[in-house]
Amino acid sequence: MAEQIALEDVSLQFTAKPHAFTVLEDISLTLQKGEFVVLLGPSGCGKSTILNLVAGFLQPDTGRVLCGGKIVQKPGPARGMIFQQPNLFPWLSVLDNVTFGPRLSRHRKEDVNAEAMDWLARVGLQGFEHHAPWQLSGGMKQRVALARAWLPGPEVLLLDEPFGALDAQTRLMMQELLRSAWLETDTTLLFVTHDVEEALFLADRILVMSAKPGKIVEEIVSPFGRERDIETLAEHPQYSEIKHHVLHRVRQEAKRHLNTL
Amino acid sequence: MKMGQHITISVISVGIFFALWQIAATRQWVDPLLLPSLTDIGLTTEELLADGYRQVPLWQHVGVSLARALSAFSVAVILGIPLGLLMGLSEGLSAVLNPFVQFLRPLPKIALIPLAVVWLGIGEASKFFLIFIATFLSVVVGANAAVERIGRSRIRVAQTLGASRRQIFLRVVLPDALPELFTTVRLSVGIGWTSLIAAEMVAASSGLGWMVINASSYLRTDIVMLGILLLGGIGYLLDLLLLGLQRLFVPWAGKE
Repeated sequence: MAEQIALEDVSLQFTAKPHAFTVLEDISLTLQKGEFVVLLGPSGCGKSTILNLVAGFLQPDTGRVLCGGKIVQKPGPARGMIFQQPNLFPWLSVLDNVTFGPRLSRHRKEDVNAEAMDWLARVGLQGFEHHAPWQLSGGMKQRVALARAWLPGPEVLLLDEPFGALDAQTRLMMQELLRSAWLETDTTLLFVTHDVEEALFLADRILVMSAKPGKIVEEIVSPFGRERDIETLAEHPQYSEIKHHVLHRVRQEAKRHLNTL
Repeated sequence: MKMGQHITISVISVGIFFALWQIAATRQWVDPLLLPSLTDIGLTTEELLADGYRQVPLWQHVGVSLARALSAFSVAVILGIPLGLLMGLSEGLSAVLNPFVQFLRPLPKIALIPLAVVWLGIGEASKFFLIFIATFLSVVVGANAAVERIGRSRIRVAQTLGASRRQIFLRVVLPDALPELFTTVRLSVGIGWTSLIAAEMVAASSGLGWMVINASSYLRTDIVMLGILLLGGIGYLLDLLLLGLQRLFVPWAGKE
């Protein structure tokens, strides 16, 4: 397998006085092509900062961020991103939102519409292509955002707590949707969350982070295999053991973080 | 409250107001010279429609005022929006122009009348200038602020989809600012319409503002009242028109 993303000894300081502190300290991690990795940690541990570095919105103080072997200098279409808020363009229809990326590079609308319709069907939104974003529910909006980010075929998709603002039921459906969509592509996924169960269901590999300074304190390789059922996952013989371990680890880091405040 | 209900209540409230006015005037609770009755104003309107005021037909007073205001509004909006947006996007330009804008904006435009006359004479140019300057400054300030209120996150989405700076401006910043720009134009047109009276105080011989001021010196309160009703009514209609355009062009405003 080829290396898709690499962070090499990355550190980042937040310099605004009087609250200057080290956000990330000597982070090194690699993602193989097509891997699904979840960054798990308490709030404020710098996990979103890692996404912003990979996206190119931030530059590290020291160390390097590589994507496909090249140093990341600015945001670009090779690395798609999905935020907690869908951030759809309300002046465009659902279909035009989804095709926004390809239409930037002089693709004709007609050429990408068929592909966009496939993506809308994949996220369960067939028949909604001519709706306006504000006519959709929160979960539907986030599915449009998913299709919009995925349609241009990015090498990497960065997801910053994308389901955090959704209700529990919708969140489960979105998790299943995301995993099945990922299985059909060879996109590399880096997903940030503080929800342990979400991490367990989604990830090939979980990286647990600590806060202030942000560090990766543990790596857990998922034993659950490629085909997973969200309803029966908890019956897997290793599930509760791993869940307890991860919960304990995350709580430990959160407590330690509280003590340093 | 439903839209229909809202309108019904408004219509009733205005109806009661006019009824009280009519009763107060016909029973002579107030001197008719100070408060002419609605029927008197109606008769005056008929007279002005037939014979005009000072040899100029009423519709022409309305037309002249509207022409002055609308031409000044259009130029102010066409120049003011791009300038305001550019100021919002460029720190440098903002630093150069802001002192002038912030000095002129709160300045009562009446204070500019003597200067406008000296510079531009008593023709249409000075009237255009006074309405223009009031509208323009308000548009510039509003468009400038509209840029600051644009969500950073939508720009970020466009960046990760590969948009260039130019594409971000044309396809994200501009449409994202549109609801705010419409509100700015509505406010500015209101301000511009207000300065119409000031503009028509400059040695004019036609226009609604002039008609009101001229009639007042002959104690023709009925004509003053008619002029005020027309000025207010037209201002109201202009705003409704812009509101309609806003609904048509930015149906997403306020729905997120």
